[in-house]
Amino acid sequence: MRWLAKIPLRLNSLLRRPAADGELDDEMSFHLEHEIASHMAAGLSLAEARRAALLKFGGLDQLKEECRDMRRTNYIHDLMQDRRYALRMLRKSPGFTAIAVLTLALGIGANTAIFTILNSAALRLLPVPHANQLITVGQQIRGTHGPIHRNVHDDNSFVSYSEYQVYAKQNRVFSALLAYSAFTETTLVTDKPRPIMGTLASCNYFDALEIRPERGRFFSDSDCVAAGESAVVVLSDSAWRGTFGSDPAIIGKAITLNRTPFRVIGIAPPGFEGTVAVASAFWSPLTMVKAFRPATDFLGDNYLSWLAMIGRLKPGVSTRQANANMNVVASGLNSLQSGRVTTVTLNGANLLSMPSLRTPMLIIGGIILAAVGLVLLLACANIANLLLARAAGRRKEIAVRLTVGASRGRLIRQLLTESLLLAFLGGIAGALASYWSVAALFRFTMSHLPTGPELAFALHLNSDWRTWSYAFILSVATACFFGLAPALRASRVDLTLAMKEDGAHSQTGTISSGRMRNILVGVQVSVCMLLLLASGLLLHGLYRAQTVNPGFQMNNVEGAAFDLSGAGYTSERASAFQQQLRQRLASLPGVDQVVQATCIPLSNQHNMTGFSKSGNSKQYEVEYNNVSSNFFHVLGIPVLQGRTFSDAEERSGAHVVVLSQSTARRLFADQNPLGQTVQGGDSYLGKFVPWQVIGVVADAQVANLGNSTKLYLYEPAGPAQQADLNVMVHTAAAAPTIGKEIDTIVGGMDPALNTTIGPLFEVLEFWRQPARVVSVFSGILGTLALLLASLGIYGMVSYGVSRRVREIGIRMALGADNRDVMWLVIRQAMTPVLVGMLAGIVLCAAASSIFSAILFGVSPLDPGSFISMPLFLLGVALLASYIPARRAMRVDPMIALRYE
Amino acid sequence: MGKPTDLVQGTLDLLIMRTVALEPMHGWGIAQRIHLVSKNTLQVRQGALYPALHRLEQQGWIRAEWRDSENNRRAKYYSLTRAGKKYLEKEQANWERLSSAIGLVLNMAE
Repeated sequence: MRWLAKIPLRLNSLLRRPAADGELDDEMSFHLEHEIASHMAAGLSLAEARRAALLKFGGLDQLKEECRDMRRTNYIHDLMQDRRYALRMLRKSPGFTAIAVLTLALGIGANTAIFTILNSAALRLLPVPHANQLITVGQQIRGTHGPIHRNVHDDNSFVSYSEYQVYAKQNRVFSALLAYSAFTETTLVTDKPRPIMGTLASCNYFDALEIRPERGRFFSDSDCVAAGESAVVVLSDSAWRGTFGSDPAIIGKAITLNRTPFRVIGIAPPGFEGTVAVASAFWSPLTMVKAFRPATDFLGDNYLSWLAMIGRLKPGVSTRQANANMNVVASGLNSLQSGRVTTVTLNGANLLSMPSLRTPMLIIGGIILAAVGLVLLLACANIANLLLARAAGRRKEIAVRLTVGASRGRLIRQLLTESLLLAFLGGIAGALASYWSVAALFRFTMSHLPTGPELAFALHLNSDWRTWSYAFILSVATACFFGLAPALRASRVDLTLAMKEDGAHSQTGTISSGRMRNILVGVQVSVCMLLLLASGLLLHGLYRAQTVNPGFQMNNVEGAAFDLSGAGYTSERASAFQQQLRQRLASLPGVDQVVQATCIPLSNQHNMTGFSKSGNSKQYEVEYNNVSSNFFHVLGIPVLQGRTFSDAEERSGAHVVVLSQSTARRLFADQNPLGQTVQGGDSYLGKFVPWQVIGVVADAQVANLGNSTKLYLYEPAGPAQQADLNVMVHTAAAAPTIGKEIDTIVGGMDPALNTTIGPLFEVLEFWRQPARVVSVFSGILGTLALLLASLGIYGMVSYGVSRRVREIGIRMALGADNRDVMWLVIRQAMTPVLVGMLAGIVLCAAASSIFSAILFGVSPLDPGSFISMPLFLLGVALLASYIPARRAMRVDPMIALRYE
Repeated sequence: MGKPTDLVQGTLDLLIMRTVALEPMHGWGIAQRIHLVSKNTLQVRQGALYPALHRLEQQGWIRAEWRDSENNRRAKYYSLTRAGKKYLEKEQANWERLSSAIGLVLNMAE
């Protein structure tokens, strides 16, 4: 309780400081008078008595200060005083202040912006009421002996429809457990069919999330009773406003999604765009899945992972209890398959709950955060350098403070206050800048990424307490980082030396402060080297991506992709469609070849399967493509051995394959691959089919740009693949209108089919754009780093020269010529630069494999970058030290020696 | 400026509190009283007295008020608070225990 009684005392001394100081004066003079009186009583004259009394008192002001210290609130007063003083110091050197604040604002702003994005995606709870009660439930399946058969759609932590029903019915911990399948891309059929992204949801979805409809109603339980019966849809507010022009009478109207008419029953409130980071334009009941994805039996397949689950905890139930209960329910599913072990993990729900998205997003975010963090580090090092230089200039002032009785701790506190003030100014500017610009920057970046028009992000990039505290903590951390070392240095002053000297050559001081500056420059150079190398690698990768020869020719080839199986075509109907389309396209003027393939080269279409050699159980993960036999000829992929498919093989879907060259080498080494068989199929299902190798073609980067050595093989486009085939049209000469003509033909055959048509070389853009964004980003960071580091080197050298004018003068007087002096200065400057560069190179070599995926075949240890970038940096460093070193050359020995 | 050791500081606090326990007193008076009562053995220097007074006041052991002094001059009078009184009793008992213990040890040879 005693601390309670102290509060008024502290407040009193804090608020009544002037009055308290006056009282202190009174008290002291009262004592002094008594002292004088007693001396006079002993027979001294007034003057003598006064002298004696004052003598006995000692330092009156010191005593007062000590009494003030006892009030314990002096820290606050000191802080105010320091702040005032610091403000005055900063105002006195506006250039330094402006540069420091600007650099910090840049660094802190960039960091805060990246953090804002990460925060809104990965940290913040879902934008729904009582979001802290919402838990994502993910399922993991192990087999006690060997892998368990499982089909995966989107993420392997998802559950099947029947599993969801078990979890929803048997758990005792959630007031509601919802399931949904996001990323349901479908075709909105209007006069011009277009893709649209939505979510299939269990009928308790909105109730469990406690979302109320803006208009109309949400799902009722009856919507989820029978499969395919209740074709109803809820639209997002932005879809309603954008796509449907805010039609006030939309409720009750029908819209056509992928050929099925759906009745609009409600509009979601503004700001709610689903439970994943990609915005949903619509929601439809899970039981309608067949209308969206007719090819697979989603509801009936008990081993298909396709539903994410979110539960709302009952009041008073802890996550731990929920975890225990849900795992009991999960173990009940073990009897479904022999050897199956089912567990669940529970996590707080946010927009990035899906593990297969969360991990790569966090890695990418972490790399970007590290990169901008490094730039901030560079900025800090520069400011620390500037502060060190200033501290050297303030040696005398600091010495005076120390002599008149300031303690070292007090001085450090004062110097740190200056740093903190700088950091806060920078932090506030940076945080505000990121607050205003992050949403626009994010939109800008995303609009330059190859995403379809249907892909919008559901991130709310506004700031919350987390972003502000991040900026705050970052500011304090930077202040300590760049302020502490200079403050410690500056306050360690040899008093007598400092008072005597004129600042030109204090040997004891400069040696260690020089070392600190060298270390700072070394750190700067190594960080700069790291960033430059990384951006060099990325730029080289971008260059490769733009000039790379993909191993096939794409001139005068137009691709048209459509999803017949998604649109509900049976293979007979698809076959008729394909045949008709082929004929019509072939009859277009100028068209000389029509090619069919399940995967258009370098598009986002990929087929994966497992293959093994006959008599060998080792499984290879292989990409494959079902193609018509003219595929190789039209794309100019040379046949190296054997032959390609015959028409008969194509018609019958014969089990013959053509291997890429490196695949043949991997599988059969130096054996002749022709006539060999490979076992294709699903090892989990135990179904193996022999495929005969009939040919080998040259490697081509048909699946991933910059990578042609992955296992790749071609199968004939047989009857079973008709619904999955796309077409490519080759014209004899450039035909700019061919796309339109294809569109007209396809549209005439099926107006509801969503078709993507474009010249083949346009798909290259898809590969270049991420690299371009990353390259521009890293280029900016690298340039910034270079600028900061060269400023640091320049500062170090010019400071060194100015401190050593006298020494240089003596050397010149003793016969050193300009060249010697220049060499001396530059050699000393280059030591930390070279050490830093070496460290940066080693760091980058260790780290570069992280981003090898976007380097387009450039090795993470690409010699071009690892030689050119260090040389470039060395050149800049030499230039940065040459300019101040020239000043050293111009030192006039006579003036320098008289300078003292 | 070196700080007095804990023992000395604690002792001075004890002496001050004991002195103001009798009646409210100003700084000068406290110094004089200690000097007199200790038969001129203990001389409390101002440099130690006033910081100690302010510290004790901040800790809530003593309180201060301004009153007219004997020669009609306003002076700051210190007196013991209730918490201070308890604290003094405890500390005085401690001190007596300690000093008698030290006495025992020192007189061991006789």
